[in-house]
Amino acid sequence: MTEHLDHLRHEVRDWLSANAPQEWRFCDTHAAFAESQRAWFAKLVEGGYAIPHWPKEWPGGGRSLAEQKIIYEELARADAPRLLLSFVSTYHAFATLHECGTNEQQARYLPAILKGETWCQGFSEPGAGSDLAAVKTKAERKGDVYIINGQKLWSTMAQYADKCLLLVRTSTETAKQAGLTYLLMDMNLPGVTVRPIHQIQGDEEFAEIFLDNVEVPVVERVGEEGAGWAVAQATLSSERGLTLMELGYRMRGNLWRIAELIHKNNRAEDAGILRDFGRLSAQVDSVCALADQFLEKRMSGNEAVGDASIVKNAYSRALRAYSDFGVRLGGLEHQHRHAITFGDLNTGNWMADYMNSFAWTIAGGSEEVQRNIIAERMLGMPREPKNWVTQ
Amino acid sequence: MSLNRTELQDAARKAFGENGLAPDAATSWRNLTDLGWFMLTVPEHQGGLGMGPEALAIIHYELGRAIVPGPAIAHMLGVSAFAKTGRSDLLSRALAGELTSCNLCGALEADKVSQLLFVSDDQISICPSPIFTQVSIWDETRRLFDVRLGDSVDILASGADAKAIGASLRSELLLMIAADSLGGADAILNMTIDYLKTRRQFDRPLALFQALKHRVADLKIALSAAEALLWSRADGTATLAEMGALKALATSTYKTIAEEAIQLHGGIGLTQEYPCHLFLKRAFLNSALGGDADHWEERAGRDALTKFTSH
Repeated sequence: MTEHLDHLRHEVRDWLSANAPQEWRFCDTHAAFAESQRAWFAKLVEGGYAIPHWPKEWPGGGRSLAEQKIIYEELARADAPRLLLSFVSTYHAFATLHECGTNEQQARYLPAILKGETWCQGFSEPGAGSDLAAVKTKAERKGDVYIINGQKLWSTMAQYADKCLLLVRTSTETAKQAGLTYLLMDMNLPGVTVRPIHQIQGDEEFAEIFLDNVEVPVVERVGEEGAGWAVAQATLSSERGLTLMELGYRMRGNLWRIAELIHKNNRAEDAGILRDFGRLSAQVDSVCALADQFLEKRMSGNEAVGDASIVKNAYSRALRAYSDFGVRLGGLEHQHRHAITFGDLNTGNWMADYMNSFAWTIAGGSEEVQRNIIAERMLGMPREPKNWVTQ
Repeated sequence: MSLNRTELQDAARKAFGENGLAPDAATSWRNLTDLGWFMLTVPEHQGGLGMGPEALAIIHYELGRAIVPGPAIAHMLGVSAFAKTGRSDLLSRALAGELTSCNLCGALEADKVSQLLFVSDDQISICPSPIFTQVSIWDETRRLFDVRLGDSVDILASGADAKAIGASLRSELLLMIAADSLGGADAILNMTIDYLKTRRQFDRPLALFQALKHRVADLKIALSAAEALLWSRADGTATLAEMGALKALATSTYKTIAEEAIQLHGGIGLTQEYPCHLFLKRAFLNSALGGDADHWEERAGRDALTKFTSH
């Protein structure tokens, strides 16, 4: 077994050294970055490493979690491009279709993903962030179609997406969750407008989607009307642990950037700086160890509620500390605005990295939501009463 | 390893009480020797169980959880030194229960032991009749001594050998203190959570307040990360400086959790009868033993600078 895994590791390593592009972080425009993402995904599909978690009927699929872990470790080690544009497609869309989609939906959409069709997620809204069940975007059934009106927010790279996983409200009569329905929407339909969000670091990783009388055929519904919340859980639980492990390893693999900065600024004999670097290295190692431990728990079926939340918060705090230390070491020079770097968290463009770290403390379930999960569901502290009466 | 981590953990937890603090020093000590835990890391050809440093971490995690009194850390260092220097005479006596203390950890319980292990940069020796004076310390679970070597000294190693063995003993010491700290942190955190669930103010349990929940969650996250580092560095491959950085992280986590535990307990946390203070004081002693965080973080930073510069 170990031999087989070692073999895989070397195979992936060799393939990456021949195929992984360098300097992928520095593109002139965001559109050029998206193009480079498409090219990298196509290459990974060809190499057989793009969808290790899909069933074995698919080329490159059927990999065990241990094998998947090795692939992501090697991607991190090679500092290969992160898979941003295809992430929602290969994880969220795949899990949703695989677990809840009809045969027709699977046949139509899954092969297209491998050919480069990209998906975005239409979940969050201006009034539904941490409280996802508060989704207001309205879908009214009219014959064979749903008429959609509303607005979605924080949709990763939606400006480049072909399709959308859309969570809508079909009823206001029932409990919040029970009024939700899940649809697959073509982004080219009339009435769909996408506007990139200009983020504080100059990136446009997220977008908002405006929906104005968009007609989505009823056959594009996943699950029954009113079952949207359960389907959304399948979407959101599709990836647990691998990404955080990969990101932890990437952060560790980029600690040389800090070392370089220490030398460059002649701080190698500064005890205070050395202490902070020693502490940061241990913190980064602890996050990697935590992510490894979490994946081991998953492999042995011992994952507990809250474990994933612990890994996420530990990672996002370490990322903040890492980038903050870089900014501090960079001094005035790093208050100069350099070229924009897209799609990564450890670029050495320290102010951008620092601002990017907020994506991890806020997106995908904010730190505060994770703390609630840990306290209430893991440590058994009582949940807050549901009803809040306006005074 | 003949036992896996969970089995050894379970056995250790049973021996020292599943929920709560250790029995008195004498009973705790009897438990330790009866179970043969001092033999765990001694190589099999020397009559031990040949387990790696992870076993050391498991045992000391549990000793820390129950804040077990006594010279376990020092005695473990003695056993290890005798094994590493091939002194089977001293080793068999130590495994039979003849106690050793050690200058690397404040000469714990020096008045109750048969000999003192003295480790310096270029010499490792045993002194059967050290001159000692007890010092009064804050940690109520341990007793420390000022020691000087007496007249007769048995030299176990010197020169380069002493240096290498000394480094390995220091590494074990750091691992034991780190494990003791995280075990203690786990115990006091659980006690604090239980207290918050029970204690009522404003007609509701304190555990209902989100401000307190979030503080507790942050402590749990810090503890989990430090524990993950403990187990990953207990595999015997960590450098001395990495072990030092682990110890720094573990003791600072312990201190933070013990400090928060007192604050979250409120007034009762300040009383002698409630055990919060025992953890806090042990956390401080652990921080000071074996080199403090400033020392180890600086060394780890220096090593990291070298390691990541060769990129």
